[in-house]
Amino acid sequence: MAVGRDDKKVTDDLEIFSADNLQSNMKIIYYSRTFLSIISGVIAGILGLTGLTGFIFYFLVMAITSVGLIAKANFSIHAYFTSWNQIIVDGFLSGLMSFVLFWTFAYDIVHIF
Amino acid sequence: MNLGFTIGVLGVLILAHAAYSTIQYRGLLKIVEEEFSGPPMNVVLELLLGLFLCLWAALSVPGKFVSIHPDSDDNRIVSLPDNLDFMIFNHRGRVLQPDNGMKLKC
Repeated sequence: MAVGRDDKKVTDDLEIFSADNLQSNMKIIYYSRTFLSIISGVIAGILGLTGLTGFIFYFLVMAITSVGLIAKANFSIHAYFTSWNQIIVDGFLSGLMSFVLFWTFAYDIVHIF
Repeated sequence: MNLGFTIGVLGVLILAHAAYSTIQYRGLLKIVEEEFSGPPMNVVLELLLGLFLCLWAALSVPGKFVSIHPDSDDNRIVSLPDNLDFMIFNHRGRVLQPDNGMKLKC
């Protein structure tokens, strides 16, 4: 049973919102982006992408993820988040390291060994 | 959530199969002594299918978004703190009529 909810006064967007619900939503976005960074790394390795093309592929998959997350929120962002940046931009670069790791991993397995 | 998890595992298996196909394709190219320009078309299709399944799983497995408005239906404000030491019930509220509109959040 929940103890209660936190009130937070934000001067830019909402007066009162439930901060732990917002944090739960951000965690969902983080999990989705991390998993898709790993998957896109494996696909880039299998395809044999090298150099800048691979990074373009990563940003493409992250953009598709943003569209998918907006569709998951039923296009009404303000019921679940306080600003557009949280769902579009946030976490964009956090999966980059995982992407490069699995990209080199898959590329080595498929193309070198 | 279980269906999403199954779809994710299926997507990863399809990607593994595509990787194995590409390894065999490269072995074939070594025999014929050609350059590797890209995986064959059916492997690309398989990769797209795996990517789509993993996208679906990544959006459905971690859970639904919860609303952050304080007055929406899944955020009832009436919620009991679980500290009974400071709760007293011997106050003026006992003569009031109970409000049947209040719902309890468990």
